[in-house]
This record gives sequence, structure tokens and C-alpha cells, in this order.
Amino acid sequence: MSDIQEAMRSRAKELLESGEVNAVIGWEAGRFENQTTPLITSQAAKTQRLVFNEYCVNNLGKYPRDLTAKGKVAIFARGCESRAIIRLLSDEVIKRENVYIIGIGCPGMRDRTTGELLKKCAECRHGDPVIYDEMLGEPQAKPATQERFAEIQKIEALPRAEREAYFTNAFSKCIRCYACRNVCPCCTCRQCFVDQRREGWLGKQNNIAENRFYGLTRVMHVGDRCIECGECERVCPMDLPLMSLNRKVIYDINNLFGEYETALSLDEPPSALTTYKVDDVEEFM
Amino acid sequence: MIIKKDRMGALLGTLAQHKTVFVPALIDGVSKFAPYREGLDVRFDLHNTKLPPKDLLFPQTQKMYRYGETAEGGHYVEQFDESSERVLFGVRPCDMRSINLLDDVFLTKGFVDEFYEAQRKKLLTVCITCAAPAETCFCESMGLSPNEAPDADILLKSCEDCYKVTAQTQKGEAALADWRDFLEDTQAQVLPGKTSLRLNFEGVPQKLSRMYEDPIWDEISTKCLNCGTCTFVCPTCYCFDISQENKMKEGVRFRCWDSCMFSEYTAMAGWHNPRPTKKERVRNRFMHKLCFFEERYGKTLCVGCGRCVECCPVALDITRLIDDIGASDA
Ligand code: SF4
Ligand code: SF4
Ligand code: SF4
Repeated sequence: MSDIQEAMRSRAKELLESGEVNAVIGWEAGRFENQTTPLITSQAAKTQRLVFNEYCVNNLGKYPRDLTAKGKVAIFARGCESRAIIRLLSDEVIKRENVYIIGIGCPGMRDRTTGELLKKCAECRHGDPVIYDEMLGEPQAKPATQERFAEIQKIEALPRAEREAYFTNAFSKCIRCYACRNVCPCCTCRQCFVDQRREGWLGKQNNIAENRFYGLTRVMHVGDRCIECGECERVCPMDLPLMSLNRKVIYDINNLFGEYETALSLDEPPSALTTYKVDDVEEFM
Repeated sequence: MIIKKDRMGALLGTLAQHKTVFVPALIDGVSKFAPYREGLDVRFDLHNTKLPPKDLLFPQTQKMYRYGETAEGGHYVEQFDESSERVLFGVRPCDMRSINLLDDVFLTKGFVDEFYEAQRKKLLTVCITCAAPAETCFCESMGLSPNEAPDADILLKSCEDCYKVTAQTQKGEAALADWRDFLEDTQAQVLPGKTSLRLNFEGVPQKLSRMYEDPIWDEISTKCLNCGTCTFVCPTCYCFDISQENKMKEGVRFRCWDSCMFSEYTAMAGWHNPRPTKKERVRNRFMHKLCFFEERYGKTLCVGCGRCVECCPVALDITRLIDDIGASDA
């Protein structure tokens, strides 16, 4: 990893100095041991602060959305970043010529206090970048150690009342900080329904009904576009099981329309939920 | 006077018979202040609960009044009063200080917030000193001490297997009557706490007052997500927003926590927004904490609890900002 870190620093410096890109997106060390934080810089001198280690927990993939308006950016991309970029590209939020993707194979990241592999990384099925302009180091081919839908099957097997209690419990904890929305590479609406106060889709009160309405609407909006990066669940300060909600939608898509996984390449077929076919399942009609 | 740690459960059980006693507890993986009951996972060992105690005095959603039309064609307005006798038990010095700051906001400068006041008067505070501050605690750098809480009604100083009990106000003195069966008249060695994280806050507010247009705000705000995490977990963030919900001929007016990190916080009629980007929002949060509040109340609005440091999804760290400003020659 230290070789990669060196290569990152020198490539970032070259790209900024040559004027090829306007900004670089990576990670730098935080104040505490084993802590990192995103580093976004346009200054070549600051590229010496770039780090790459097992504690680079942030998916940087949403930042190009804010930054490409000012010019081309270079981004270090593991599997999750690369898929986030495909998401932004497919949703026409950014343009391909405005991002320079530097791929890095990912061995999985760890929690800074426990040292354990992050849940999102244990569940990740694509640690290596699926799109890049150049690659630093070798792909890691890290296997997913968690079965993709194991949790969903467990929840679905619960009796109805327990299932309801599971989600009621979760939403009773939600403080509606919207960290899950703001970190998500799929949440790129110019105005979120949550912020449309005049229309009043969502009331401001914090209670289970409003919280559930927010959570379920979010998951349906993200729906077939979720890249399963697990950032929403990682950043939730209240530990809501957000990936169970996301994967439930994907699980149902799988069952209704066949095996589905999005944002793996730029020329994949249109998303399942936005495409209509005459032979689509229509159980309720 | 001391109380043995293994007598705390019995004390709480007794106190909870007359009042709602809020204690730090772990509920579904989240630590917060919750009403004591048998079987609750009470955690006096946590330095800081993830959610601050401000919800007790300033709930995330607070009903203010209801109104409507009467059958005779007149109208009525009825104020809510949901205050009750409460004990905040096991609060830490930083959070105790945050209540002192909220008091300034809601009770001074010529305006008294009735909702806050009603609950504040019915609140008894019992503070526990911190023998072992967390790595993110920096209260000492903000002019506090992990070993004192001058505003608490009752102070429990942490010792090895007991707490040394002192009433600091008349209210606390009177409340100790209910504790009599659990107290022992013995001496104990107090374990003094020390924070490992040290910042140089000297001169930072003054420097900040000259830094409104500084490029630093562009730089540090780029990675911010503009979520509300830092403001919602902060014990001293007090912004709220008033809305109402109407159904047929009646309605309820309520207020909810708001966050200066949200884009619509400053949205005005006609869609004008004086804080249009992350830069202005991040600047406001830090300026309010470390400079504006100081100018208005002569106190710093950050108590060094470290919650935002711990919870920010992108590790945008107020302690690094303080150090950077302190080191700059602004
Ligand atoms: S919903 Fe969650 S897992 Fe899916 S893309 Fe968004 S942040 Fe990632
Ligand atoms: S500073 Fe961190 S917690 Fe606060 S709004 Fe920005 S990203 Fe969210
Ligand atoms: S700004 Fe952060 S450290 Fe300061 S009081 Fe608020 S949450 Fe605690």
C-alpha cells in the first residue's frame, strides 16, 4: 500500500502541474490514529499529504458532482468510487471528459477503533475499479465474505409483527440528519423532495411516521440505481440498517426481472425500474 | 459523603418513583439519555452519549399550541405544556456547560422562551466528573474542566468504586434528602481526569472575527456533505424552525430542530438564499460556535465534547480548524 501511496502522490502532482486537471480527490490523514479524511486540492504541493491505507473509509465518488463544474478532476477510484462515477455518468450528472479516473485495487477497509473489516467492505462484490483511465498497482480480487441477500432472507423469514417491529424500531431512532442522502452518489436531484417545503411532501416533525416516509421514499428513489457501496449505512450516526432496505429493493428486482446489479459498465442496459416491457410482471393488474 | 457505585441502581430505582430520571443508556446500539426503568442498559462508563441531553429541554419536535374554530363560530388557541419534573442524572461537565449556554440563549437578553423555561425550572441536574476522558474530548482547551461542573445541582466526583457527592445549589441540597439511605459518611480518593487532546484556543475568536473573507472557508468546506449530523449531535446547537399542520378547521403549531448546514435553512421568499453554498454554511457554523456567540454572550459555544469530531461522515474536524486558525497569523 505504501507503493501505491507514493505513486498516488507523484501522479497527482504531475496531473496538477501539467494543468491536465484542476483538482485531485483522494484521502489524507486525520488527527487521530488510523483516521483519514477526504483531501480535495488544486495545489500541487498538497499532494504530498495524500495517503492510502486500510482506513480510507470514505467513498469519494460523489465529489466529482460538485467539482467538475470548475473543470476536470482526477479521482482515485476503488470499486465503489468507480461505480459511483458510472452512476453519475449514467445519470448525466457529470461528463466523462471531466473526470480522470485513477484506479486502485481495494483489499477492504477497516474500522479505526476496532480494526475490523467494515461491514460494507465485507459485503462488497467489486473491490477493483470497473472503469479507469490508468491503474496504480494490481487488482486485489477481494472476495465478498457476506452473502448478498442473507440479511434480507433472514428478515423476510420473520413473522409479520416482528418484521414491522424491526423497521419501526429502526425509524424511531432516525434523527433525519440526511447524512444518508447527502453521501449517496445516487441522490443527485437538483431539489430533493425533502426540501420541497411548499409542496410539503414530508413534514418537519421527527416521529416514526415521517421518518419512515422519508426512509422508504429515499430507498425507492435510489431503487435500481443503488451501487451497494454501503456509505449510507456507514455514515448513519444512529446505526439504521439502511442496506437491508436498499437490498430488499434489489432482491425484489432480481426476483421480478432477473439477476440485477447496476453501474458495472458504461454500456449496460437501462435500469430495471425505468424501463417498460410488455411482458413485465404485473401481478396486481 | 459518598455513594458506592453498586448502590447506584437502587438509588435510581428510588428516585424514579417520584420523577422521571434520565440516565445515559445504550438503546439499540445508540447511547442517549433515556428514562430510567428496570432492565435499562444504564452506562455511566460512557464518556459521552452519542446524542446530547439537549432534547430534554429543547425537544427535536415540540408542540407549541393548537388552534381552531369552535362550534359557535369563534376560535380557540391553547398552549401546550409538556414539561414535567425531571432529573438529568449522570450528565458530563461539557454537557452541563451546554445547558448553561442554552440558558443564556433561551432565558436572557430580554426574551424568555416559556417552553424552555417551564422545563428548565423542573430539571434537577446531577453531573459525574470524567476520570478518563475520551480521545476526542477537548473540554479543557475550551476553558472547562473534566473535574468540575459549577452549574450542576449535585456533583458526583468519580472515585475508584464510589462517587463523592456534593450539593452545589439549594435545589441540589434539598434533593439529597431522598438520597439519605444510600450515602455513607466516608472519605474517598477522587480520580482526576485529564484530556489528552490539547488545542490552543487563545486568541482564536479574535482572529476569526477578521477572517470572514478568508480562503480557508473554501478549502475546508469542499469536503463537507451539508448533512445535519454535526449540528444535531451538538449539545449547544439551538436553531429551530416553526411550522404548522392544519387539518380542516384546526391546526397545531410546533417547532423542530433546524440546522444551518441545510440549504433551506436560510431560504427566503422568492428563492433568495443569502447562504447559497457549502462555503457560507460551514463558515456560519464555525463562526457561530467560536466567534459570534463569544461576541454576544462572552462565552464560546463549543464545549469540547468531541461529538461532531466523532460523528462527521467526512471527518471535518473542528479541532483541526481551531489549531489551524490558532497557528495562522490572521
Ligand atoms: S443508497 Fe447507500 S449503498 Fe446505495 S449507492 Fe447510495 S449510499 Fe451507496
Ligand atoms: S461538517 Fe460533517 S457532519 Fe457537519 S454537515 Fe458537514 S459533513 Fe455533515
Ligand atoms: S461543536 Fe462539536 S465539540 Fe463543540 S460542543 Fe458542538 S459537538 Fe461538541
